[in-house]
Amino acid sequence: MSAPGTITRMAADAPPEVRPVHVRAGRLEHRLGLLAALGGFGMIALTYAPMLWLGIMSVSADPLGGLPGPFTLEWYDRLFTDRRWVGPLLASMGCGAVVGLACAASGLLVARALPQLRARGALLIAFLAPLFIPGVLLGAGLFLYLRVFLGLRLGWWSVFLAHFAWAYPFALLALLVTTTRFDTRLNDAAADLGAGPWRRFVDVEFPLIMPGVVSAALFGFLLSFNELARTILLRGTATTLPLFEWAQATSHSSNVPLIFALATLVLLASLLLIGVSFWMLFGRAADR
Amino acid sequence: MPSPADKANDAPALEVIRASRHFGAVRGLDDVTVTAARGEFLTILGQSGSGKTTLLRIIAGLDHPTSVAALRIGGKDVLGLPPNKRNVTTVFQHYGLFPHMSVGQNVEYGLKLRGVGASERRTRAEAALATVRLTDKYDRRIHQLSGGERQRVALARSILTEPDVLLLDEPLGALDERLRLDMQIELVELQRRLGMTFVFITHSQEEALTMSDRVILMRGGRIAQEGTPRDLFERPCSRFAGSFMGVENIIDGTVADFANGIAGIATPAGIFHGLWTGVEPPRVGQAAALLLRAEKLRIGTTAFADSFEGRITARIYKGKYIDVAMETRVGVIHARAWTDEDLTSDTVRIGWSAGDARCVPAEG
Repeated sequence: MSAPGTITRMAADAPPEVRPVHVRAGRLEHRLGLLAALGGFGMIALTYAPMLWLGIMSVSADPLGGLPGPFTLEWYDRLFTDRRWVGPLLASMGCGAVVGLACAASGLLVARALPQLRARGALLIAFLAPLFIPGVLLGAGLFLYLRVFLGLRLGWWSVFLAHFAWAYPFALLALLVTTTRFDTRLNDAAADLGAGPWRRFVDVEFPLIMPGVVSAALFGFLLSFNELARTILLRGTATTLPLFEWAQATSHSSNVPLIFALATLVLLASLLLIGVSFWMLFGRAADR
Repeated sequence: MPSPADKANDAPALEVIRASRHFGAVRGLDDVTVTAARGEFLTILGQSGSGKTTLLRIIAGLDHPTSVAALRIGGKDVLGLPPNKRNVTTVFQHYGLFPHMSVGQNVEYGLKLRGVGASERRTRAEAALATVRLTDKYDRRIHQLSGGERQRVALARSILTEPDVLLLDEPLGALDERLRLDMQIELVELQRRLGMTFVFITHSQEEALTMSDRVILMRGGRIAQEGTPRDLFERPCSRFAGSFMGVENIIDGTVADFANGIAGIATPAGIFHGLWTGVEPPRVGQAAALLLRAEKLRIGTTAFADSFEGRITARIYKGKYIDVAMETRVGVIHARAWTDEDLTSDTVRIGWSAGDARCVPAEG
């Protein structure tokens, strides 16, 4: 150790020496960040593993055997000869489209008004409460009310009703993300420049909340497209794709392998659809 | 767009006659009359809550008065009309630019609404952008612009439709000091060049003084004083107006005498004199205030009839001058010393000429 006074003398003789700095602070945060990232990847793996397995088994000779291989496209070939699934697929797509559009349109009305209301918190809870009811219960409740109590003939309309009730809260949440972020003062600015209510909506508000509208429609479509629990009870004579798959999977064991191939195709198509919509929503926005 | 016939009629650009706006029990605006001549630069000055923003919103059509005698823009009755039916545009404090449109699309939006063709829109938008010194920014996105540039885009957008009145809502508030000073000059030059009526809302007395033809000072929903910048600065009509216009020293007292426009105000340190600038002539015994601007006070002189002693408590170096705070019998007084020689002792005498001091009523 140097004696007191050394520093002063050194400073007079030569500039003080520099040494590299190693900061230890922040390491814990860094490690926690890594852990979180790893956890995230784990979750993704967990989510996609069953789907991947489904895909692998769909090209295996014995999908119910439990082990992949030997590989074959037999089941895909059979799908194109036995085309009973095409009707339910088209029906589900039609139903999904109607539910998606209905969710986006009616959700838009509510999501535009809700942020301006004083009772918005209570109202939002009221809108989201159906999420807490198990699907089968809601289906059963609707069935008892519509079929048993009112004596109505169930069919596509009751399927639509159940799907809409199921998808609506999700669609509303997607819309609220953009409508609450929308700066209503922009409407003032547009009015100030001479825009009437319709032009304000078309030129300013809608383009800015459009991502939420598209997401809402997409949620509505996908949730309806995949819905089974409520559909079973409310179908009447209607058949949706999940219903068809479920019926096939439970009754005719010889057809089960077909379901693997069909589900894989639907999954690929869905991923494509989602990919395209995300690109439309966010990819193009980044180009601007 | 105004037709030549509209331009020719000599109605004032803006007439707000006896407007009130009550929010429940609160009087946001209380029987206020404001008119602006064509081509005038009118400033509405006041603190937040003074009613200036309510007034702006009523002119723009974003809010409506609870009672009014008349509301006309360019001679046309606009009472009850929505903003899009009024020939008035606003430069908002928050700019209000549309983030999904380019700079050019923002600027020409008003023309688009009026059915002007695409090529003419572009030509005129580019001309307007050049006017606010934003040449070649037509295709930029809004988020690529700095705060000052956004300000200019908002300005270009608002002047392009040639409104009878352009409202500016604290447009310089968000800019940094240097830019703000530049924009003050630029706005005034622009207004002169266009011959457009500007109604400028601000809380800054400095902006009001530098830019306006006429200033309306507001307080609590009412007009506290109205006049040229010189009137407001040199002849404040009340204690509030004086204080708002930046008078450093205000000494409260009562009126002792009044002759030839000069009032004597009785204070704890004696009777002091100044020019009476209240609207009504003073009554003896009335509560009043003596307004003394720091730069009018002379330090260390006995040449004036009105003077008192003070003990220096702080000297703050300001570059051009030294701000001197002193303890006196009438409270803390601020004066300006121009050299250190003025401040050799701790106890000094300060004096002023009665013509440099102002006396005003304490109320109103």
